[in-house]
Amino acid sequence: MYSPYDFNQSIAHRAEYVEERLKGGAPVVGISYDRGVLLFTVKRTQRKIFEIYDQLIYSALGNQADVEAVRLAAIDFAHQEGFVRSPDDVSIQRLVGFAVSPAIKRSFGDPMSTPHVLRAIFAEIGKRPDKDSYFVLNYDGEFSTHTRSAAVAASTAAEEAMRESLDAITETPDLAGALTHAAAAWRIGSNTRALPTDDEDEAATEDEELDPLQEALRDGHLEAGILERDTPRESKFRLLRADELTNVMNHG
Amino acid sequence: MNFPQSFAGDFSRLLPAPQKIEAPAAGVDTTFDTHGTTVIAVKYNEGVLNVADRRATAGMGVMYDRAEKILPLDDHTVIAISGSFAKAIEIGRYLRHAFKYYERSQLQPMSLEGKLAEMTRRIEGNLPMMMQGIGAFIPVLSAYDLDAGEGRIFFYDGMGARFESSEFGAAGSGSSAIRGSFDYIVRTRKPFSQMDLQEALRECLILLDIAADLDAATGGYSKILPSAKAVTRDGILNLDEGQMKDVLRQIEEGGVLSSMPPVQARKIDADSEAV
Repeated sequence: MYSPYDFNQSIAHRAEYVEERLKGGAPVVGISYDRGVLLFTVKRTQRKIFEIYDQLIYSALGNQADVEAVRLAAIDFAHQEGFVRSPDDVSIQRLVGFAVSPAIKRSFGDPMSTPHVLRAIFAEIGKRPDKDSYFVLNYDGEFSTHTRSAAVAASTAAEEAMRESLDAITETPDLAGALTHAAAAWRIGSNTRALPTDDEDEAATEDEELDPLQEALRDGHLEAGILERDTPRESKFRLLRADELTNVMNHG
Repeated sequence: MNFPQSFAGDFSRLLPAPQKIEAPAAGVDTTFDTHGTTVIAVKYNEGVLNVADRRATAGMGVMYDRAEKILPLDDHTVIAISGSFAKAIEIGRYLRHAFKYYERSQLQPMSLEGKLAEMTRRIEGNLPMMMQGIGAFIPVLSAYDLDAGEGRIFFYDGMGARFESSEFGAAGSGSSAIRGSFDYIVRTRKPFSQMDLQEALRECLILLDIAADLDAATGGYSKILPSAKAVTRDGILNLDEGQMKDVLRQIEEGGVLSSMPPVQARKIDADSEAV
């Protein structure tokens, strides 16, 4: 017989299952800059930053298949709504709040299905940096809203540390500045992720001295995607080229 | 949880099936179906220039004299539409979403061949309506082929058959009246593909004026300026209205082409064009 106790246990086990799998995930940082919105992360082999719709961008850490499933569901919803109604009716609030989050929540609470292993960040570009929106979606369907900047990481502690760093930004940066801030927040998120437990403390090595971003780039690559506020191109979205990211490492 | 599947980038599967229309009674009045009239596409040395009059007619009446018949679909593709305005605009809107949906979901742009096939499917899907005497439209599709490094023009018949033109394309009620004139220009002056933008624009404006003289449904350029857009390697150019007026003034004054001011064009974002 399935009891309330079983339900709570099931939820706790599922959360534990997901948290465990998220541990190795690289953080993603979102920052508004004067001319657009930036998402910044480090990828290994698979791309992590994606265009969802004209004004929407997405990234996530977690299981690749789950990241992909949410991406495709978001694209389907956005395009269906954009065509049937209007592109102006496709908003981050409708997308995350009504389309993606409830589905993730259902999946997480259903003991007969595998929960989605991901933490996702959605960003919507506005006419001005203070009109940009960020939604951070957790694996249990909960989401939070942010302006100017947002972050997702392997743990809530890492996310909080990153947000603290991002909240300290007082002026709207340009793209170069946003990349520098993003890299700094990423380092914090990555360091927090790697903080040793008491048992592991003694085993800490000289690797702690290494720049976490530099370390991540041993087997990874910087990835940054932007939505541009004013562009004559059809698409506001583009991934930054390698030569546009070279300065990031010089500001460690 | 069940997320909807992507169906490999086919946007049409996300939409409800179109309503079936029963055959209308014989002799049904179809004047409610507003039509666009004459559109022209010619190659020039940097891509393809599209010029269209602004008139939309319903039966014998002029429904609208500022209709936009050149619709950008993406950075390197436009369609110029003639025939049923309602259907053509809706299909233009559909294609814009379909191309973007494919690119975003499949993480690669749709090929030119893929876009042309998508256009064929739309025309083919419209066949039942056309057979009933409403909703017929014929597009001219212009694209800049980045692989080939040249502008290309494709025109269609009502069944969706696609034909590629080496120099020019035209559609709409006024197009048949000027079809021979294109050949005359190519044979006696030079191929459109060797003209620069202002030469090509001048020829197109004259052709459009001839079409307006010979076809009551085609608006010329005397009252409302035509619209003109060019597809180039760098994107879609919207030809400046003021400069078009200068070219028209020179034409009317019999000015020498080489003395004309260069055409000013402003690069546009296809999204800024309400479809």
